[in-house]
Amino acid sequence: MIEETDISKEGLLTAYKNIVMERLFDKKMLNASRQGFLPFYIPLMGHEAIHIGLGMAIREEDFFYPYYRDFGVLLQMGIPMDTILSQVFATATDNEIGRDMPDHFSLKKYNIGAVITPVAGHLTSATGIAYAKKYRKQNGSVITTFGDGATSTPDFHVAMNFAGVYNLPMVFFVENNQFAISVPTYPTEDKAFNQTYEETKGAIYKKAEAYGFNGVRIDGTNFIEVYRETRKALENAESGPLLIEAMTYRMGPHSTADDPNKYRTTTVVEGGEKDPVTVSQKILKDMAILTDKDIDDINKDMEETTSQLIDKYEKAPKPDKSTMMGNLYEQEPWYISEERGDIQ
Amino acid sequence: MTQMTMVKALNSGLNNAMEKDDSIILLGEDVGTDGGVFRVTDGLLAKYGKERVMDTPLAELGIVGFGIGMSMAGLKSIPEIQFQDFIYTAMDQIINQMAKLRYRTNGDYTLPMVLRTPYGGGVHGGPYHSQSGEVYFTHTQGLTVVTPSNPYDAKGLLLSSIELNDPVIFLEPKRLYYAGKMEVPDDYYKVDLRKASVIREGDDLTILTYGPAVPLVKSTVEKNNVNAQIIDLRTLSPFDLDTIMAGVKKTGKVLIVHEAPKMFGVGAELSATISERAIDYLAAPILRVTGLDIPIPFALEEYYVPNERRIMAAIEKLLKY
Repeated sequence: MIEETDISKEGLLTAYKNIVMERLFDKKMLNASRQGFLPFYIPLMGHEAIHIGLGMAIREEDFFYPYYRDFGVLLQMGIPMDTILSQVFATATDNEIGRDMPDHFSLKKYNIGAVITPVAGHLTSATGIAYAKKYRKQNGSVITTFGDGATSTPDFHVAMNFAGVYNLPMVFFVENNQFAISVPTYPTEDKAFNQTYEETKGAIYKKAEAYGFNGVRIDGTNFIEVYRETRKALENAESGPLLIEAMTYRMGPHSTADDPNKYRTTTVVEGGEKDPVTVSQKILKDMAILTDKDIDDINKDMEETTSQLIDKYEKAPKPDKSTMMGNLYEQEPWYISEERGDIQ
Repeated sequence: MTQMTMVKALNSGLNNAMEKDDSIILLGEDVGTDGGVFRVTDGLLAKYGKERVMDTPLAELGIVGFGIGMSMAGLKSIPEIQFQDFIYTAMDQIINQMAKLRYRTNGDYTLPMVLRTPYGGGVHGGPYHSQSGEVYFTHTQGLTVVTPSNPYDAKGLLLSSIELNDPVIFLEPKRLYYAGKMEVPDDYYKVDLRKASVIREGDDLTILTYGPAVPLVKSTVEKNNVNAQIIDLRTLSPFDLDTIMAGVKKTGKVLIVHEAPKMFGVGAELSATISERAIDYLAAPILRVTGLDIPIPFALEEYYVPNERRIMAAIEKLLKY
């Protein structure tokens, strides 16, 4: 099937370049963490089509509250590379001056929320932001992303209920990569331990119905579909919320702290037919927008770009220790002023 | 000026603030049609409408999280948790999002919001309607923890809290909600959040107390003609070091009275701070009279909380020392 879209040829090529760029960044950042330049890293592999599709869909008037595995969305949204990479590498120029882990962005001026580590901890904040939009009669909607694991938390259910009760302009977007670290989203047989285990027995997208709105499931390896469905949802959200479950597969580990070989046989591998990069190439080749030569050229080009950037940021200076005590309160308490003396 | 209970004074403060600033939103369980189970928000739904006085679903996590989002987006939320005892499902939001947002984003986001909740004994509420959980908040970096002890302070501290560009945990001593009336201005006024109140001058000892224990300390001292200075902390975190140290250096004897349990309590921090800075001024050990180190029991609550007998025993011990 040949995709149809309102995006121009240039727009589609930019999206593809960003998909490739995210993949290359991901590999290099994983490598940087192995070499000790990053103490911790959250791999992205398998999420590229979702991220780039989301970045295409989010409009200037929308508010985006991401979770910690959304690097590529920012690339596609056009956030300056310096802003993104100085945060990831916790450099002195990071707007958070290195206070939070990689991919924990806070970009208020771009209408982006402050990424929080506890899973689903931002979902009720996102609903409150949607309420503020509605109260102030502002244009646009709120979109918040989270992993499948988040759908087991009380935060998810409370946020969905509030969104339904107040009929908020928002899109709940699950990036279902089929694993919460080691536990599969849906019932899966585990032969080694003779058990069937899962995060949930009911389909995630269907959970919206109980809160009074709709849920849909989409293909999270197809960036055009992600763009189309999300843009439609954002446009329609002014009349009420929607839950989107985008299906993909986490090709790497959850983080640099686990080894997936212990708990699964990886079924989607790089270059395989379900790899979002391969899927994207096929879509664009079918549309006659991309040739094999383009693929090679873009790879080469992006390889060089990402290598140079990573090299620059992994060696960039870290924040000075004198910055660490500031901005706890607007008016600094006496004991904080005293404790400044402890870090000289 | 009107004679007001603490409940009326808080209600008056919310009304003054909402009149002035349409970014203020109240939310919580039963705060709208019912006016709050203690009536603090009575009449506000009728005046400001359901967009600003929101009866929420029963979920403390949602009430706090929703309020955080509103305040991130430029509104000023004032969530109410019906009893402090029920706040714990929202503690992840309070500790991980509310308290840390300014710090971890280096001020990219700030969070002007006031989380109001009644705490402490006084209504025979047993283990789940009487807790004094202030240290859960005072030991969380980034929160301002305020507790008034009379109607005038309640309104003035609330209005200062609403103006603060940081999150406040506003602990309302439910035993004082209807404990008495005093003259309170009908108009907008503020009480300094960073200033303790010397509510009585005296030379023989300094009593540090706050919130629900203040009237008891005051009546005990007056009834027994004790020449004691009494300091009402008003803000527990960050507390007013200067006023405390001036009192300690003047009298050289310190008693701390609070309704919360003793172990690892506010009294422990005050005591350690004073010892570190003024051991040479002290003429006696720092003593504490507090709630007992057990959950607060239903039938025997009056034996759990500090009383005149226990306070006087400690005062006499200090005076004789």
